[in-house]
Amino acid sequence: MSEDKAKLLPFYLVIDVSYSMDGENILAANDIMPSLLEALAQNPILSDKVRFCLIDFSDDAQVLLPLCDILDPAMTVTGLAVRGGTSYAAAFRVLRKTIENDVAQLKGDHYSVHRPAVFFLSDGETTDEDHEWRAAFRDLTEYDRQTGTGFAMYPNFIPFGVAQADPSALQQLIHPSTGSKQMRMFMMDKGNSPAEAIRAMAEILVSSVVNSGNVMAGGSSGIVLPDTTQLPAGISSYGADDDDFL
Amino acid sequence: MSRGKHAAGTELGEEPVTWEEGARPCAVGDPGRAASTVLTERDSRFLFRNDFLVDGARLPRADAPVADLRAACVRGLKNRYYGKVCQDDYGFLVTKDEQWLVIAVADGVAQGSHSHVAAGIVARGGCETLAKALADEHPSRIDWTRLLHRLADDVVRHGQQHLGLRDRVDVSGTLATTALFAIVGLQPDEDGFLPAFVLPFGDSSAWLLRPRDGRKWIPLQAVKNEGNVIATSATDAIPLVPHELPPALETSLAPGEALVLMTDGVGDPLGTGDGEVGRFLADAWSSPPEALTFASQANFARRSFDDDRTVVAVWPVPRP
Repeated sequence: MSEDKAKLLPFYLVIDVSYSMDGENILAANDIMPSLLEALAQNPILSDKVRFCLIDFSDDAQVLLPLCDILDPAMTVTGLAVRGGTSYAAAFRVLRKTIENDVAQLKGDHYSVHRPAVFFLSDGETTDEDHEWRAAFRDLTEYDRQTGTGFAMYPNFIPFGVAQADPSALQQLIHPSTGSKQMRMFMMDKGNSPAEAIRAMAEILVSSVVNSGNVMAGGSSGIVLPDTTQLPAGISSYGADDDDFL
Repeated sequence: MSRGKHAAGTELGEEPVTWEEGARPCAVGDPGRAASTVLTERDSRFLFRNDFLVDGARLPRADAPVADLRAACVRGLKNRYYGKVCQDDYGFLVTKDEQWLVIAVADGVAQGSHSHVAAGIVARGGCETLAKALADEHPSRIDWTRLLHRLADDVVRHGQQHLGLRDRVDVSGTLATTALFAIVGLQPDEDGFLPAFVLPFGDSSAWLLRPRDGRKWIPLQAVKNEGNVIATSATDAIPLVPHELPPALETSLAPGEALVLMTDGVGDPLGTGDGEVGRFLADAWSSPPEALTFASQANFARRSFDDDRTVVAVWPVPRP
């Protein structure tokens, strides 16, 4: 049987909880989910479709909130707490496994699933070896439509960088980085407060979710990031080819 | 007010009148939040565009019935919520010689601000052009490519003359629509079968409904997104029409069956037709319902399925 129970748009919010996030930053990160909840509660068209998953990462990564309807009263979000270093590879591996399982489960349950979107927030450089995070990122994002090799459920990947995050490293995580559906990254401007920047990123995230739901309602299934002229103060957005942050 | 029987008038000494409360949207499985919470926002750009269109008819004439038709076009919950007009449309005509019923179903592409206008041009202009062509040609000889190009030209002309758009590609971003046509013969053969010809262009779909069979919904084209890991909503649309189209599909409609044409607002939740929505609609449309009931059934609530919905269904009238 291949009838659809519903058409879903899955979002994965992945947050760096390394020790450098301690204090105001982690408090600001903990406010992201409540802002989302508030936005979704006001829009039944969107909340019928959007599913959210919260993953944190440090030396390892863990799913704090499995992909769900966050307005479901039975859902509770565990707060983020800091621990250890910054392994991007750990986050990418958990993402790949989680997305694969989630999409398979949803399709098995007869849902129709649009391409997932990952919002990846980090405040520092990865502690992984270069080849390690690159390999894990390739496993998550590479797919060859012609041969069917790679990860067919690859997500759209949108990096957010605050504090000491390295823009040239995060820029390499923009996916797709070419073509008609290319994504962008969002960076805190130098000198801004990281906690403020995280709050601004929550705004960008909420507006992307709302806009994407709107265009999905408009017949398109792409993710829509806010226009560069409408970003909150202290944040800039860059494409995969930009180099003006250097 | 709850459903059920009601009475009034007795306290004033008048003759009592009784009625049954009308239907709310039927929930098929999980109705989601939108169906019960969305309040309709009008589209201030197009004040006279209707939210609902409904028809019911015995054809070619009530005193010589061959086929029952029901048609409904329902503005989707998302367009009611966001204050955008319904972009679907439909049309039907019986040829002057009463030999053929012509049906068009059109789904304006959501990204275009005036796609409902394109849908209207295709639904009505398509029926008129086809009906004229059938005066000279058998349906098997209709030049569908020519028909679609002609409708595409009409859409482009409208975009240029009324909206100041430049060329075909420019127009396609503002007015674009899928098209699905059917021609049903109104002269049954000796077993009561009606011949039917169907031409789909884009993601609207045609089905044979066999309510008494194990497999009730027989698609007359490939089912959208079947076999895809990740769903997509890309579709062919007028005015961008290729030079060659696949030939029309030929089938026949047996007594007890229905030919059902629909936009993806119904086709997406129907899927392959063998789930809950398929069973619900197969049961609801095992014979022609009253027209407003048909529209209400087409307006069923199911989580996340909030697109405009159009369905036109034809049943051969049972012989005495």
